[in-house]
Amino acid sequence: MASLQEVPLPGTALAEELDQRLLVVLRDGRKLLGTLRSFDQFANLVIEGAVERIIVGEQFGDIPMGLQIIRAENVVLLGRVDEAIDAPEGLTRIPAAQIKEAQKGEKELNKLKSTIRARMDFLDLD
Amino acid sequence: MLFFSLFKTLVGKEVTVELKNDLCISGALHSVDQYLNIKLTNTRVHNEQKYPHMMSVRNCFIRGSVVRYVHLPPGAVDVEVLHDATRREARGG
Amino acid sequence: MADDGETATVKEPLDLIRLSLDERIYVKLRGERELRGRLHAYDQHLNMILGEVEETLTTVEIDDETYEEIIKTQKRVIPFLFVRGDGIILVSPPLRS
Repeated sequence: MASLQEVPLPGTALAEELDQRLLVVLRDGRKLLGTLRSFDQFANLVIEGAVERIIVGEQFGDIPMGLQIIRAENVVLLGRVDEAIDAPEGLTRIPAAQIKEAQKGEKELNKLKSTIRARMDFLDLD
Repeated sequence: MLFFSLFKTLVGKEVTVELKNDLCISGALHSVDQYLNIKLTNTRVHNEQKYPHMMSVRNCFIRGSVVRYVHLPPGAVDVEVLHDATRREARGG
Repeated sequence: MADDGETATVKEPLDLIRLSLDERIYVKLRGERELRGRLHAYDQHLNMILGEVEETLTTVEIDDETYEEIIKTQKRVIPFLFVRGDGIILVSPPLRS
């Protein structure tokens, strides 16, 4: 029995994380916070009370997402978050609507940068 | 099963996991499973300013499929034993 | 002798890799990465352990002012490295002179 306890059964790696408040990082870079309620051997996840955390510069905000079922292949990592450190150090929390606006602004700036680059490529200044 | 067995011998050792999204996490290897999913404790993220959301994370589960490299402590593994195990695995598989 | 005969047969691609055990090999990876190091272990997925690895990362940066492409190579040495096989594009055995 001792050896059985040392080696966990296959696919049970996340059992210790059940009902814990976790940070889930997804492959597209998005970050969800929520409580892990279920998982399977592939690490498909069920997250309750999820919020998407958006960070733009020195500001961050949480968008409520409710119950989320996440397909395993999109999961990068799960981290146990210290509930005492709710806000990332040095960042200011702003309301959901405002952080969405800030994110939109950042996206448009990046788009503009790549458009300019594409045009320069087209001109081929070499 | 070669690498699963190998990582099991490294439990408790300090490793650095480099992910395909360039995130680099150091910590003590807590456990590994047959998919080479990795759990680290006492984690530290390199270039933390770039990943502020990771600041409050001290333990984490990393899905095996997103791993690019694992930097291992040199000297933690006997390379002769590793060669023999690899040849045995090559014959068997 | 029998053992020699067994190690020398090359019937499938992975046999070539078996013959490179404890030799320095070249590995090309996704994301413009290349590795040179001593092969200590591998499996059927091409997961590997390399020793005394030199990684070369090639990046293309865009100059903010002129929008010119600047190609940079960064090198680093890693003493003992596990490489996940799914990122590997090709493996080249050592050059035998």
